[in-house]
Amino acid sequence: MLQYTLQRIALALGIVFVAISILYTVMITLPGDPTTVLLGPRATPELRAAFRANLGLDNPVHVQIAQFWGRIASGDLGTDYNRNRPVAEAVFSALPHTMALVFGAIVWSAVLGIMLGAFSADNRNSWIDRVTAVLSVGFLAAPSFVVALYSLLLFSVTLRWFPTIGAGEPGDILNRLYHLALPSFAIGLAWVGYVARIVRAAMLETLGENYIRTARAFGLPRRTVIYNYALRVAILPAVQVLGVGIGGLLSSAVFAEIVFSRPGIGSLIYDSVSGRNYPVVMGSMLVAIGFFVTCALIADLVNAALDPRHRTRS
Amino acid sequence: MPDLKLQRLFPSLTRRQLFAGAAALGTVSMLPVAAWADGTRLNVRAYLEPDDYDPLDASGFLEELLYGCIYRKLIQYVPGDEWAWQNDLAESIEQTSPTTIAFTLKQGQMWSDGYGEITAEDVKFSMDRHMVEENNSRIKPDLGTFTHVEVTGSHSGIIHMERPFAPIWTIALPYLAGTVICKQATEEAGGKITTAVPPTVSGPYRVREHRLGERWVLDRNPEFSGEPADFERVDLIVIVDEAAAEIAKEAGDVDFTAIGPASVQRLGDNPPAGTQLKVHPALFYHWVGLNVQNPKFEDIRVRQAIMHAIDVPSIMQAAFFDVAEPATGIIAPGLIGHRPETLIPPQADFARARELLDEAGIDRLDINIDVLNNVTHTTVAQVMQAMMAQAGIDLNISVHEGGSFWSLGVAADGDRWQDLELTLKRFSMTPDPYYATAWFVSEQIGDWNWEQFSSEEFDQLHDEALSETDPARRDEMYRRMQDLMEESGGYRFLTHGVTANLFADSIVPATRPDGLPLVQHFRRA
Repeated sequence: MLQYTLQRIALALGIVFVAISILYTVMITLPGDPTTVLLGPRATPELRAAFRANLGLDNPVHVQIAQFWGRIASGDLGTDYNRNRPVAEAVFSALPHTMALVFGAIVWSAVLGIMLGAFSADNRNSWIDRVTAVLSVGFLAAPSFVVALYSLLLFSVTLRWFPTIGAGEPGDILNRLYHLALPSFAIGLAWVGYVARIVRAAMLETLGENYIRTARAFGLPRRTVIYNYALRVAILPAVQVLGVGIGGLLSSAVFAEIVFSRPGIGSLIYDSVSGRNYPVVMGSMLVAIGFFVTCALIADLVNAALDPRHRTRS
Repeated sequence: MPDLKLQRLFPSLTRRQLFAGAAALGTVSMLPVAAWADGTRLNVRAYLEPDDYDPLDASGFLEELLYGCIYRKLIQYVPGDEWAWQNDLAESIEQTSPTTIAFTLKQGQMWSDGYGEITAEDVKFSMDRHMVEENNSRIKPDLGTFTHVEVTGSHSGIIHMERPFAPIWTIALPYLAGTVICKQATEEAGGKITTAVPPTVSGPYRVREHRLGERWVLDRNPEFSGEPADFERVDLIVIVDEAAAEIAKEAGDVDFTAIGPASVQRLGDNPPAGTQLKVHPALFYHWVGLNVQNPKFEDIRVRQAIMHAIDVPSIMQAAFFDVAEPATGIIAPGLIGHRPETLIPPQADFARARELLDEAGIDRLDINIDVLNNVTHTTVAQVMQAMMAQAGIDLNISVHEGGSFWSLGVAADGDRWQDLELTLKRFSMTPDPYYATAWFVSEQIGDWNWEQFSSEEFDQLHDEALSETDPARRDEMYRRMQDLMEESGGYRFLTHGVTANLFADSIVPATRPDGLPLVQHFRRA
């Protein structure tokens, strides 16, 4: 297990390094002079030239990338061009909002998806199974930004149950949860369908296993067999998918944070890319990719811990 | 055998626990949405986040939105429908010669948090620092020919200019560059205000906290020397997306927001309960620019043909939903230099366009237009594409995101600026014509003059109008400059647009004539 864990960590670090280096190259080769965007129209050409030189934007791409990794190695994410503050401050003040959003969405969608999938498998080919199938595919097909807008119109404008904007008052947990409800609903809905389909398929496979037949033959109650024995095994593929799915949720979070005007890594990246605020883009991307790779790594390790075949295969 | 590892990871949930959880969620969902709706709190939308508290870093109206609440100036704009200024910190202020302005401060105007009285030294410090090269002030050009402030007493001073600079009254003093900050506090902070909240303020509100990426929370400043603010708390909420802002207003989560032209008719005819809509003529200018140096447009008849093939009224209808008027130039109505009409009528003349192309020996013309990826401008381009086809012009549309678009014409960002053909742009504006014409002088080629329009007469007039203090003469000069632009065949002026504000009827908003909010003057209804 230790060797497997070390291999996975090394792979994760490699992925972060390659992904960030490629992103950096793409970003600085994009058309769009950051000094034009950042300093505004009234900045003099001299000021813009000084700004470029000061930030090292005149250096060749490979030098800029090396400088970036050099800074990262010394624990410095750089300085925000716009606000003259450390990038780390911007990123780490936004990160908790995104994590709350992503984990909120994961938790509710996993709970509901697992319940729906298990229920569907338990009632295979019944009308309930079919309705669940239609709902699952419907949830999957609905883009999160459309769900976000319609849920805003329904739950905020018409019913006035939820707020439309913001992340809530700092220090007030209930208020924070209240502001989190609708965005996490919007980005989690598709996952309900996805998880439900995965769990249903895995459940059906598990229900055909010998040990389930044995449990039934021993006269254990049906619910115990399905929900205590079969489901525990059937959710393993969902755990793996949810780990990787954090990446998908991070991109959905960009829309949700803009539509719901929430602070977070998504909206920070969006604003920074538009403004060609390179240090903030790279700092945010580093943290977002690190977050995603860490979640995938944890999912791998959990799976390996739960199912020794994974680490053996590796 | 039960799998203990799994049991630890996934403890079973009893039905009772499930119901309890659902009940808790239900209770949370019943919390009142507008808990603050007691009339003492004001929520105003900001479409982007202001940069910081230091005017050196300011670049536009968003900073002004914040500074207006927490800082003061010698003079400030008067809310209403006509451009005018009124004294703020100044007890008296007057032009004593073409290059000097004498001012006297009101007595007893205080900084908060124990920083004492506002003095002429603060005024000098605030304005002079923009002229120091190392300070990298982004708004230095707003001060024009300003050189320094001479302090003549604790409450009096003289503003000096190198030569006359008419916009000092319209752009410099009542806007960003005229913001007065506290000398002592700024020096204590190391020469620049980079703290989480400003160490001291002088306006009707003070900063309680800045929630990064979300909002600025302001409280009433109890040490404000003027009439106390009407709201105990003001939130400047960052809502980037216009549709999201509109929804937030309809849901009652913001009290004041600008909305897009597409929503004006719908909300004007059927406003949400407790809501009012007011539409103001804006100062921005949208135009189609043509790179006159591009070999494709060497023949002026080709340029004129393109201008004749653009039907401005159709664009107003399709992209601006008939809520905006066609522009006659880059200077909006109500400002010095506004032209009553264009040289080429706003209506297209396809026959004339075709005739000009025939005279130039062109059968079919393939051209490209670069536009920003916003709905309004892409719609304008599509309307143009359909119209130009009638004159035998094939228009290809290239859509760009903001960062890429705004460097298309910039020489420092590659060679693309030389090959530009048509571009569709909107520039912001301040209430002085100097601000509009400044971008089209010859030295701006390769920077903001993407049409590469170059006219000695234009450059000379721009320079002279800067120092001209006779409003009638200035008016004439700016009109002539717009004629020159249009005669070049490089410009088809579209509109100044509108600013449509949707607001709760529990407040009395205060805006500049162009509809931009002056939050410091907002009152409860």
